[in-house]
Amino acid sequence: MSEVPPTRMNQQIFKGKLKAAQGGHKLLKKKADALKVKFRDYAKMIAETKSNMSTDASAAYFSLTQAEYAAGNFKQKLAADGSMTARVRVGAGVDNVAGVKLPVFTKYETGAAADNQSLGLVGGGKKIQQVREKFTVLLDMLLKLASLQTSFMTLDEALKVTNRRVNALENVTIPRIEGVLGYIGRELDELEREDFTRLKLVQGKKEVAEKELEKLKKEGKGPATGKENEEDITAQFDANDDADVVF
Amino acid sequence: MPTAPPKGATGDLTTFNVFHGFPEALVRGMRSSFLTDADYHHLTQCETVDDVRLNLSESDYSSALADMAVMTPASLQKAAIEKLVTEFKYLRSQAVEPLSTFLDFVTYEYMIENVMLLLKGALSGRDINELIAQCHPLGMFKESTMRSIPTFENSAKGYADLYQTVLVDTPVGPYFAMFLQESAEHRGDSRNVLEEVEIEIIKSSLIKYWLEDFAQFVEKLGGDTASIMGDLLKVRADTNAINITLNSFGTPLNEPAMRASDRKRLYPAVGHLYPVGSTMLVDVANEEELGRVLELFPQYKAIWNIHASGQGDISIDDAFYERDVQTLELAFESQFHFAVFYAYVKLKEQEIRNLVWISECILQQQKDEISKFVPVFSFHSPWREKKRS
Repeated sequence: MSEVPPTRMNQQIFKGKLKAAQGGHKLLKKKADALKVKFRDYAKMIAETKSNMSTDASAAYFSLTQAEYAAGNFKQKLAADGSMTARVRVGAGVDNVAGVKLPVFTKYETGAAADNQSLGLVGGGKKIQQVREKFTVLLDMLLKLASLQTSFMTLDEALKVTNRRVNALENVTIPRIEGVLGYIGRELDELEREDFTRLKLVQGKKEVAEKELEKLKKEGKGPATGKENEEDITAQFDANDDADVVF
Repeated sequence: MPTAPPKGATGDLTTFNVFHGFPEALVRGMRSSFLTDADYHHLTQCETVDDVRLNLSESDYSSALADMAVMTPASLQKAAIEKLVTEFKYLRSQAVEPLSTFLDFVTYEYMIENVMLLLKGALSGRDINELIAQCHPLGMFKESTMRSIPTFENSAKGYADLYQTVLVDTPVGPYFAMFLQESAEHRGDSRNVLEEVEIEIIKSSLIKYWLEDFAQFVEKLGGDTASIMGDLLKVRADTNAINITLNSFGTPLNEPAMRASDRKRLYPAVGHLYPVGSTMLVDVANEEELGRVLELFPQYKAIWNIHASGQGDISIDDAFYERDVQTLELAFESQFHFAVFYAYVKLKEQEIRNLVWISECILQQQKDEISKFVPVFSFHSPWREKKRS
């Protein structure tokens, strides 16, 4: 900080800087608070989704068991029937929370016809249908959880960065600027004081001189004011002293 | 004058034991291998799958489970099916005509499934060894036949070759021929029918031909076999027809145009519903109409009512299983006929299903659901309880 020359201009500059830093600090603090609120929301939602999911998942897998009981081992038929086209795909969107871009996964149907619709035709078809439904629900849940979880991570990261910035502004940048401002102020004061003492000194000397003069005047002598000058200075001038200037 | 070899019907009391007495005695001996009510009770009390294994070690399954490293429902199922297949093959090796043909007929059902699996698996380019490992062991062909199925190229000519060289030699070949011929009549082009039609529909068609063929064969045998086994097959055919109708709702198969052309073809030409019922089933478009048709058939009305009452506890599949177990148990109890062999296989399958169900329930900690199976030869079966009270 000592590199900064303690001038008034620099003081103005640093005052501006301080103002900017304080404004930024306030904004960032607000952002951090907003993120923290969101962060807590997401944490709550994740906890909820997860606890729901555990029941959904066991229900889904149990429906699979039920279907296998009713329709025999149909999984191998699925695998053998090779025309597997995805009926559902996952798209990624972006949600904006306080300037942080959060990924949002959405499910969309590809419009492909459902394969293996006649599965379990001679028994268990309804159960297999149930498996389909249960796992669709599970897939939805899984997608939701995936969105939440990635958002949660991103938020966490963003929150950390913001907090670091807030702290840096609060604990490093602003004190430093304040320090510089203080230094400049001190230096300027110092200069002022120096000037002041100098002036004082000069004034003191002047006063002493004046007092002296007064004294002399009072004594009648006084300094031979203008007396020396009264002599004719041209009287001693002789034009022949100098050689002629020949051009 | 030389005595003509005895040609009586298989239900003939005078000759039945001469020819088929031993296999029948064997299968009756196996009656004791079914898990008892006490076994099921113990099994449902288990906390872990290893407990299940411990409990089974005192049952007939002990040797089948002996060299299993890790017990899972899938491995349990595999071991149990293998045990069943070993027993069945032993029976088969003891059988003489016409029982041997009868037993072969029982396996055709699984063969059909295996052929479909291989064909479709090969179409999607899967590894043949993997596919063979997934086949039902009861429906295995010769290794060479199995391996040659997926080698045919995926084209019209390839299928023609496949049919002419491989499938025609297998017992289920004729069913394929019938299916291809019928498809040709309907569509005019049968060549890539295997590619276009869904595996389940082809399978259902083949099962239909098998049922009809089996029923015919049983009819020819005559005697008690014809009446008891014939009835089992009729019930089976009806079950298929009802299930196909019920499960077609919401699929393309239920579209008015498809109903007459495709769905109708899946109804077997045997059974109590045939021909009046199945003709009516053709026009059924939703559950309500199906219920109205089944209303006319007392034996299915009860089952349908279980489904229609909508109480999620028992589905129509469970109801059918329960009815199946009842009829199969009855078939098992009477003598001098072949249906006992079929009943044995089917009842064992139900038992395996029960075991898998119980162990899956334990594994997934769904204790509330654990008793939702149909025990075989149980003293607590509804039909026995009713009689006692």
